[in-house]
Amino acid sequence: MRLITHNMLKCHVKNCTDPDKQFPLRFKDVQLEQIDAERNDEFLVRMLPRIDWPALSKTTKELDITLPETVPGNPEDDEEFLQALHTAILETHIKQGSMLCDGCGHEYKITNGIPNMLLAEHEI
Amino acid sequence: MKEQPVADTLQLSEADKEDQYVHQVYDEIATHFSDTRFKAWPVIERYLLELPVGSIGADIGCGNGKYLGVRGTGDIFMVGTDRSKALVGICAQRGFECQVSDGLDLPYRDGAFDFAISIAVIHHFASPERRARAVAEVLRVVRPGGSVLVFAWALEQNGRRKFDPNTQDVLVPWVLPASKAQSSVSRGESTGEGESAQSKVFHRYYHLFRKGELQELFEHVGGCTVIENGYDRDNWYIIAQKI
Repeated sequence: MRLITHNMLKCHVKNCTDPDKQFPLRFKDVQLEQIDAERNDEFLVRMLPRIDWPALSKTTKELDITLPETVPGNPEDDEEFLQALHTAILETHIKQGSMLCDGCGHEYKITNGIPNMLLAEHEI
Repeated sequence: MKEQPVADTLQLSEADKEDQYVHQVYDEIATHFSDTRFKAWPVIERYLLELPVGSIGADIGCGNGKYLGVRGTGDIFMVGTDRSKALVGICAQRGFECQVSDGLDLPYRDGAFDFAISIAVIHHFASPERRARAVAEVLRVVRPGGSVLVFAWALEQNGRRKFDPNTQDVLVPWVLPASKAQSSVSRGESTGEGESAQSKVFHRYYHLFRKGELQELFEHVGGCTVIENGYDRDNWYIIAQKI
């Protein structure tokens, strides 16, 4: 799973609705892998509004990945920013581990890069 | 004798029906099913190719990932989810971004995506309420102003299959040839005839949509404007914009 996807996820257990807790999910015992991908600057600049930057910032800090606290004013002209963003969200893969919800404690497992987001019957 | 669709007379709860006649079947037939799903349908291909650069979208019920790579130019990003672990595994092998998830309960924050597609999926939900919930989930994960594309099997078909016009809830056979069987312990029944003596038949539950029903479903769920609706390749389809 790439970090860009993680930014879209939230905990969906029944009654787990505190937006400050259910998103972003916290990584636990993760194995990362960097896989090169071709950079597309137009894509990066245009998709920025979809990224929840505070969540991405929090998550990258937890993983010891360097990313600025805030998006620069002219991201399209900022080579360093674009490269850092590209590497973080498209080239960083979580291969194994789990994602924890700070709200309800539910643990979503990631195996061979695939998150299992299914819930038990009592959690729906 | 060629296997025919039969009316669904199963006495099961909706969840059990989906579990036994959708989820378990797809896990059993995944590889063979994937082999037969390779040609992108033009309406869907057009939709994906016309999206603006920078679009991020969800493919809900992505199957083997057929649509995840249609626009291979790195200028949009798609995430697929499917209920079948086996199919998601095939997606992942192809290098696509994918997760195991149920369409009734998506793991995404509200309005996360610019677009969502759900192709030949919602007809597998076994009640009007569950189908409405599936459509509501497709809409929920898309931002205001974003769009969704949904395809569902039609009752009225022009191809090889002919369905009884009075029966919308059916079990449709899938014949798994002996050479493709994934496990020696599988749920299907043997056809017991000639060359297909070793093949197995599985039945998948479908609710076939009659003309107008998909549009009614979207109007019932609400929160959206229908932009386009039509019939293509034995399916009814809708493109709708989230309000």
